[in-house]
Amino acid sequence: MIKNTHTMNPNEFDVIIIGGGITGAGTQRDCAMRGLKTLLIERSDIATGATGRNHGLLHSGARYAVNDSESAEECIRENRILRKIAAHCIDETGGLFITLPEDDPEYQNTFVESCLRAGIEAEVIDPELARRWEPTVNQNLTGAVKVPDASIDPFRLCAANMLDAKLRGGQVRLHTTVTGFIKEGDTVRGVHTRNAQTGQVNDFYARIIVNAGGVWAQEIAAMAGAQISLYPAKGSLLIFAHRVNKHVINRCRKPSNADILVPGDTVCIVGTTSSRIPLDACDEVAVTPEEVNLLITEGSKLAPVLSSTRILRAYAGVRPLISTDKDDSGRNITRGFVILDHESRDGIKGLVSICGGKLTTYRLMAEKTTDLLCRKLGNEKKCMTAVSPLPGSEEGSYEKVAQKIWETPSTAQKAAAFRMGTRAFRMRSSDRWNDALVCKCEEVSVGEINGAIERMDASTLTDLRRRTRLGMGPCQGEFCACRAAGLLAASHGCIDREREDLNQFLQERWKGNFPIGWGDTLREAEYTQWVYKFVLGL
Amino acid sequence: MRFDTVIIGGGLAGLTAGIALQREGKSTAIISTGQNALHFFSGSFESVVEKNERMIDFFAKAGIPLHYAPGVRLMPLGSFRPSALCLEDTDIFPTAKVGSKVLIVNFMGYHDFFSTFLAEGLEKEGMQCRIRLLDLPELEPLQRSPGGMRSVQMARILDPIWEKFVQEVRLLIKDEDIVVIPQVFGLKDPSTPGLIREDLPVRAIFAGTLPPSVPGIRTQQLLGRNYERLGGTYLKGDHALRALTKDNRIIGVSTKNLDRHYLKADTFILASGSYFSKGLRSNPFEITEPVFDLDVNYSPERSDWYNPKFAADQPYMHYGVKTDENLHAIKGGTVIQNLYAIGSVMGVSHPRFGFGAGLAIRSAFHVTDQIVQESKV
Repeated sequence: MIKNTHTMNPNEFDVIIIGGGITGAGTQRDCAMRGLKTLLIERSDIATGATGRNHGLLHSGARYAVNDSESAEECIRENRILRKIAAHCIDETGGLFITLPEDDPEYQNTFVESCLRAGIEAEVIDPELARRWEPTVNQNLTGAVKVPDASIDPFRLCAANMLDAKLRGGQVRLHTTVTGFIKEGDTVRGVHTRNAQTGQVNDFYARIIVNAGGVWAQEIAAMAGAQISLYPAKGSLLIFAHRVNKHVINRCRKPSNADILVPGDTVCIVGTTSSRIPLDACDEVAVTPEEVNLLITEGSKLAPVLSSTRILRAYAGVRPLISTDKDDSGRNITRGFVILDHESRDGIKGLVSICGGKLTTYRLMAEKTTDLLCRKLGNEKKCMTAVSPLPGSEEGSYEKVAQKIWETPSTAQKAAAFRMGTRAFRMRSSDRWNDALVCKCEEVSVGEINGAIERMDASTLTDLRRRTRLGMGPCQGEFCACRAAGLLAASHGCIDREREDLNQFLQERWKGNFPIGWGDTLREAEYTQWVYKFVLGL
Repeated sequence: MRFDTVIIGGGLAGLTAGIALQREGKSTAIISTGQNALHFFSGSFESVVEKNERMIDFFAKAGIPLHYAPGVRLMPLGSFRPSALCLEDTDIFPTAKVGSKVLIVNFMGYHDFFSTFLAEGLEKEGMQCRIRLLDLPELEPLQRSPGGMRSVQMARILDPIWEKFVQEVRLLIKDEDIVVIPQVFGLKDPSTPGLIREDLPVRAIFAGTLPPSVPGIRTQQLLGRNYERLGGTYLKGDHALRALTKDNRIIGVSTKNLDRHYLKADTFILASGSYFSKGLRSNPFEITEPVFDLDVNYSPERSDWYNPKFAADQPYMHYGVKTDENLHAIKGGTVIQNLYAIGSVMGVSHPRFGFGAGLAIRSAFHVTDQIVQESKV
């Protein structure tokens, strides 16, 4: 159990983690499992940065095998671990690396050899077999390699890590901004915070503070007087309204623009572009028309049907790439991760930053960070995150979970089990009110929405979207947003706040829609304008 | 098949035009996909501020009583908006202070009616509100079906048992002088809302729900029935494909269900609506009108189509087919003398005809008057 808590005041912790992305959530879980008293502070909601703005791809490592064998080895090891501990977040799709007529035919050999060297099961298959497995793949492919890629839901993964930390005594404060550090000489003792929703100001103290701020880590470190040099690279992606592919489809060539197509739940995602942007532009990244055109053109080479498939949404994330040098030259950029101990680097005690890395290797990043923290805190507990399943993943497949709860589960109940894993057991006692659907596209029920509000810290519509997939389907939250707003209003009781929340949700949705505003997307957008402005009177 | 006029689109504009022409003894056909803006009609005739006797009389003859009383009406999320001409069950009040104490009644498990938002809106105007939920056993089958509690399904069950509903509401009323009820009555029988109102001891307000709109669908059914009773040919569930043109005149229009057969007429009216109803079509490079390929006014730069702020006025909604001042459509820069455009296929608003229901009806009257005039010459 948790040590020393009786001697601490409620605002004192062993470890404070800044950042509610997958790195922060994973680190909090690891710390909590080793008996440390933790607090995670996130200025917005879970997974709002790079964690929630990528492909949702569980890398096999194959993409990095040729150029970055170390990353490739890390990926495949973590890939195997996550399939066990996070089964309910993963769709075991498998992946294909296809060679097209315009690609260098020699690359496939180099690719397969590099994969095998890194320990990745890469198997050359007959192009004909690839066409049969994946009817929508570009029929002109001249080669295909099968690899153990998979699709992963980053929101669910992040929420499950945080939930486990909370079950082990960890505390989470969302929508809370760190406004400054409390320092004693050269030692960081705590943080000043402000709640963005209530305006409440609080100070929290810890023996050590972890900066897991992703692309905002540089700003956070600077507040403590420490220096990090980040090189933010923007990547844009498109979500298509149908899932056209079964496998993850990659191009078998050097990594380039829009050469990965990942199936995810009911949709599929193509990406990415890559362009460096200034650090102060990271808060508001927009997808440009040129990027949209590029993604459609290149994506259609993977699966030609994409050129005529409706696009649901365009979005962009910023990769927090890092240079380990202080010289700002930028030559040593790595796709791996680095843990910066500011005590040895900058002479600032009590602050550690964790930067860079990938979604697939988040657990390893958390393990290495927690190892360092434990050394500093004199804790000798071993890391158990590689063998201990996340909440929701204790039973393996979601079909099994659904059948244990409901003898003959409906589609909606299966969807709930898929999203919640074993946590769907809480829905068994559901009455007739709980089964009503809020979101028809994704089959999200009243019970699930209320569960996310009560147990998963959801306080806004976008929070609900990340936790339940509410509004992620073809209608992009046309009516379900309004229904869920009613449920949120009933829980927090502040209508003005909920009206503003609904406005923000619609704005966020429009931001992802107007870059692709034609065809059915424009029809839907016009309908939304009419309904909310003229019918409902928002 | 030959008609005096063929109308493409069976929404408010198309039905108004069809009825107006049939009443003048013309033979007409309406090609209707079945999907139109009446499905989310608020019950208020937007942009009509004057006492338009012609509109009131026109709808009364179709069995749709309207009432004119410039003031404000209660919106589904609790705000008040100006309104002047409404369907009978959409209330207009001189001011937003509609009473002193309000009882808001909703049904258990119904999430498309926003009682807490309504309460807050009314409280802001100085009224006291109480929310009560009714659990009618008749609704249980809907409650047990995941997508069952939706306006139209509920109206089908509630219309026949409105008297029981009134009894239940009577039991809930304490000292309130106003009761607010979801607008889920009177789908088949348009008299139901009026009967409920008469039978309740205090004033009843029907407040809107999420679409589909029960008063909107009722209005469409009544207009459609009136059109057919007047002898109009109502082609439901069909859509216009393309036009046969000769010497800059439209000869006929083909439809999906009539195969290669053309509907021929002297004049044609395009009332096909905007993007939502597929009267306008868009792709990454252009905005087009799919049946006649008419000229559409829009910016060739796609980035001009949108305002990045959702709440702002959206330029794309103002795009529509080009017409001359008498609403003749224009193709390739040339006016087509026997083709008119009415309603929102011209864009969301029009400087002379207004927007929403006002635009639909006024432009329909403007065009049918011309057609009748011309035939008399």
